[in-house]
Amino acid sequence: MSDSPTVLCVQPDADERAETADALADAGLAVEGVGSLDTLTAALDRSVDCVVTAFDLPDGDGFDVVDAVRAVNPACVVTLYTEHAPSDLPRGGPEQVVEYVPRTVPESRERLADVAAMAAAEVTQAAYPVPETETERLAAVQQYDVDQLAAIDAFDRLTALMASHFDIDVAFVGLMDEHEERFVACEGANWRTLAREDTICTHTILSDETMVVEDTHEDPRFAEVDALKQLNIRSYAGVRITDREGNAIGAVCCTDGEPRRYTQTERDDLQRFADEVEDQLLLRRRLQGDR
Amino acid sequence: MAQQQDDRYTFDDLPLNPVESGTSLLVTGPGLSGAREMGLRLLCSPDTNGGTVLVATDSDATTMLKDFERHGGALDRERVRVIDCAQESGDLSEDNVSTVNTPADLTGIGIEYSGQYESTYASGYTRVRTGIITLTPLLVYSDDVRAVYRFLNTITGRIGTADGLGICVLDPNAHEEQVVESVARFFDGRVDIRADQGDLDLRVAGLQNQPTNWTPVGT
Repeated sequence: MSDSPTVLCVQPDADERAETADALADAGLAVEGVGSLDTLTAALDRSVDCVVTAFDLPDGDGFDVVDAVRAVNPACVVTLYTEHAPSDLPRGGPEQVVEYVPRTVPESRERLADVAAMAAAEVTQAAYPVPETETERLAAVQQYDVDQLAAIDAFDRLTALMASHFDIDVAFVGLMDEHEERFVACEGANWRTLAREDTICTHTILSDETMVVEDTHEDPRFAEVDALKQLNIRSYAGVRITDREGNAIGAVCCTDGEPRRYTQTERDDLQRFADEVEDQLLLRRRLQGDR
Repeated sequence: MAQQQDDRYTFDDLPLNPVESGTSLLVTGPGLSGAREMGLRLLCSPDTNGGTVLVATDSDATTMLKDFERHGGALDRERVRVIDCAQESGDLSEDNVSTVNTPADLTGIGIEYSGQYESTYASGYTRVRTGIITLTPLLVYSDDVRAVYRFLNTITGRIGTADGLGICVLDPNAHEEQVVESVARFFDGRVDIRADQGDLDLRVAGLQNQPTNWTPVGT
């Protein structure tokens, strides 16, 4: 297994694909080449850091590639590499923002390789703000086995107590990994995971202040998020949970199907529940270390 | 150490210290004229290999270029390029100007931006200052703010990896406070502007060695 960032190169012409792949490999990338949308779909997984694609493919176009990539790996950087001028391309949807390197600039393959190498290593095309220390944060989250934690009664008892205490529909503890929030305990619903860009918690983990959304329909950050409507999340309160090093690994949260305010006393109580969850997680880590 | 000094971006005639290459700044102010002026002044490049790519959302390319020149920018068409998405009638058919029909077309703006960036770079102007003047129409025209988040990650990502400088102007009074706060998270620092009887003051948050208290800008 290579430690180099991984890039998928989508070009229909085998000779051109080989030349582009060589340039990308020279820039330090681990490259896999494919010739069509169909073969790209088969090769895609979440380990891919960047996709470089021609616009014209035998079974689709560059925007079809964007859709296919985002369905599997929503934060992955997609770079169009094409002889088409921007004004000659069809209009894409607002969610299809991509990088672009024209084949018309001098030494375009080398320029593409530079752009792709830097993007694969350092850039995200996620539809949410990412913490400055995301790499360290993700490493911290990976220390926890969510399935193992979900089997522990203490988290279920805490979320049951929260739901009762705040008189809300759902209380949960979630850990935020690279692409989705995974629920350690969830009282009042049977949620297992939620795509990160659909979560409110991806904002909660950015700050040490309690995050309260009194009415998701009135908050422009969340008013258009269909997943929240489907889960009947109309109001939300959440506190981030950190590990001993200060990495924000997830959140402890309340949601309800009706708009709702949280008093300062309730916010303080929620913070205490979060403190308890942090202590429990720390204890589990210590026990894990003792084995 | 000397190399690091050379790589930083400087701002002539402004009370700001140089910033590291790859930095993106959000410029906010209640009176948009002051924040807009400050954004354009930050984009003026004293570097011989410096270029500027402007995303013009609140006025057409002709007006934007005039404003840029008025605030000290050099109008060299190889060095200064514009993506005009202001939906105004001023048609400037030059190679250094691209047109996108609406500020809602974030994908089109992003592709045109990358295209103009590459043209600037290919002309030998490798220290590129990027300006979004202003971000407000992009937010107003987007149904789902998450599309703007993705756009900002893409643009600031390119600026960061290409050792450029990003300047993005936003009128905070035009948006909910939560949106302004969430947008600010995509930037390395924030420059607040206020106008006091016509004179501008600034203060900086998020960057070291910059004025954190209100400081007169001067003319």
